[in-house]
Amino acid sequence: MRNTGRWRVAATLVVLIGALVLVSSQFVGAQKADPIKVGWVGPLSPPGGYAEGTLMKQAAQLAADEINAKGGVLGRQIQVVFADTRGKPEEGTAAAERLISQEKVVAITGEFHSSVFLAEMEVAHKAGVPIIAVDVWALSITAKGYPEVFRVAPNQALIATKYGDWIAAAGFKNVAVLFEKTDGGQSARDVLLPVLDKHGVKYEVVGADPNSTEFTAQIERFKTKQPPFDFFMTAYSEAGAYPMISQSHTLGFAPSARTGFGNSGGPAVDPTFWKNVGEAGKYVVTEIVGLPKNAWNDKTKAFVAAYTKKFSHTPSPQAIENYDAMLVLVDAIARAKSTDGKALIAALEKTDMVAGRGRYTFSTSKQPDWAYHQFMNAPVALVQYDKVNQAAEDAPIIWPRDIADVKYTYLKPGQ
Amino acid sequence: MSWDYLFVQAANGAVVGVIYALIAVGVTLIFSILKIVNFAHGDLYMLGGYCAYYVIEYLGVPPLGAMVVSMAALFVGAIVLERLMLTPLYSDATERKDEYGLIVTFGLAYFLRNSAVIAFGPFPLKPPSFIPGVQRWGNLIVTNDRLVAAGIGILLIAALLYFMKRTIWGQALDAVSQSRDSAAIVGINARRFNSFAFGIGAALAAAAGALVAPIFSLAPDMGVLPNIHAYVIVILGGMGSVSGSIIAGILLGESENLFTAFFPDPTRAFAYTNAFGVLVLMVFLIFRPQGLFGRRHLRME
Repeated sequence: MRNTGRWRVAATLVVLIGALVLVSSQFVGAQKADPIKVGWVGPLSPPGGYAEGTLMKQAAQLAADEINAKGGVLGRQIQVVFADTRGKPEEGTAAAERLISQEKVVAITGEFHSSVFLAEMEVAHKAGVPIIAVDVWALSITAKGYPEVFRVAPNQALIATKYGDWIAAAGFKNVAVLFEKTDGGQSARDVLLPVLDKHGVKYEVVGADPNSTEFTAQIERFKTKQPPFDFFMTAYSEAGAYPMISQSHTLGFAPSARTGFGNSGGPAVDPTFWKNVGEAGKYVVTEIVGLPKNAWNDKTKAFVAAYTKKFSHTPSPQAIENYDAMLVLVDAIARAKSTDGKALIAALEKTDMVAGRGRYTFSTSKQPDWAYHQFMNAPVALVQYDKVNQAAEDAPIIWPRDIADVKYTYLKPGQ
Repeated sequence: MSWDYLFVQAANGAVVGVIYALIAVGVTLIFSILKIVNFAHGDLYMLGGYCAYYVIEYLGVPPLGAMVVSMAALFVGAIVLERLMLTPLYSDATERKDEYGLIVTFGLAYFLRNSAVIAFGPFPLKPPSFIPGVQRWGNLIVTNDRLVAAGIGILLIAALLYFMKRTIWGQALDAVSQSRDSAAIVGINARRFNSFAFGIGAALAAAAGALVAPIFSLAPDMGVLPNIHAYVIVILGGMGSVSGSIIAGILLGESENLFTAFFPDPTRAFAYTNAFGVLVLMVFLIFRPQGLFGRRHLRME
């Protein structure tokens, strides 16, 4: 009996590991000879932002499939090697090292967590391998001035500054700011607060654990504030954003006629946003980091159509960022006529191409420091849902005013 | 701060506390019989929530019925897991049973959590409400879903207490928890009750998952924080005491809520809520090391 128990446990473990190997092997598949390997890093499992990571992975694979269908680049196929970094910097370091030393990738794209990317880019920097940041916003990423690091995403200076300017322009005077205690959330806070100071907007700042799902006590506390808060700004990219929006709405705090609601970080444009928040999502303000629908080019339209057909949901901004990152990289490989790191970096610096998010160029200026290798014209627009179940790309653009498609700056609930 | 504000925060804390207690009571039950802390409990809770969600979505069963189906499914599933993975706990050849239990349940937790991303997809899901709408009493606003979760939670805990104290099976379970050898002498098959306790514990986790799904949404990693809460509650309540877990659950819900509500620095109050829960535990254990209703026999004999 004693041995039976042990053998049973051992057999169970073997079966579980076997099942995992089988599941993993389906992602490897058969490969053609000598492809150009491109690394992808990002969260695909907890505790990272695996929802956003999955969207990015899907888009990167779609880009590779399309490029390969057209014959690849330099006469070779592109193979994306995916590495799950689980939202942990140490996993990011290990993934980058494995991709570079074992898989011999020529470049890396991806990542959703700034803290993880900061670890990955150190490895890429030492190895001289180009790395394109896809959806990470911390200023320090490009501010370090590493030649290997390029960023297609906007950064917090380009995003949180817009929120600050918009909050002032919309007439809000007293703002409750809740940020997740991660590199991304803290970077958002650090950029937003000076902008609010500049405009003379008062605020109270609250930090939150990224695993939180219960916000009732905090929201009740906000409700007692005198004079009352007129805007609730959240920099929160985790799944807890949904219960936060639902609880804030149910408790009569925001979005309400008295208090507006903003969420920065991505969950408000993810495919299951409306399923989770329902009515509470109406009037929520969020950002889109893709082109506004009225400015979509042929590549945007083709990507949205192909992605929606393949995955049965519309792409989020993170998805198109990763799709474009792949196109930008392959364009650089084609122009460099080489996969050598230095040649690729030189080619990336000279990038001038139109992809799904507009015309890509990378700044080589270090004024300010975060501008180096940053896609300076990365589109950022603030939208406000005015209907339940509205797609993010159909929501009215309220900021910046030069691309806004409605007359108002802010639609007050009940108006 | 007014009395009204205190009442609102205390009432919300009580509702959250009952939900915590419901999650923790399964851990307590499993601990009292198997003498291991089930660190996969939060992940069984997650599975229970998803199970109820898919029963509602694909079979059109109303939420309450789906909760019962989910409890039954997890009861059976957990017994299979217990038979496959936990049997070395009952063998004399296993010297470090505590460590074995810890490693196996941690491993199971990671396995279930990561498999859930593949099986259920990475995007949060939300089943329909048990009863849509909210109740208002003055400034106190509570959603019907929270009231249903707390109400059914209390009923399930009461049913468990009744079962443990008043039924022959429950008394046999209690006997095993007190002394495995003595229970065997009077003809109780302790091994069968190991499976039974693990199954009941998992069914309670499934009920909790199904009840909170419309409140907090379902995500593959939704069990991480409840795992920590449950562990705190089980220690606070006294390892293995069901009644202790109920009181400790409410105590934790209240202390966390009131800390967020009244801690002088509003910038830090919310961020340190979880740390405060653990601080309460630490201070409590200094004065009462065995917890509220702790018993002394803590190891598998």
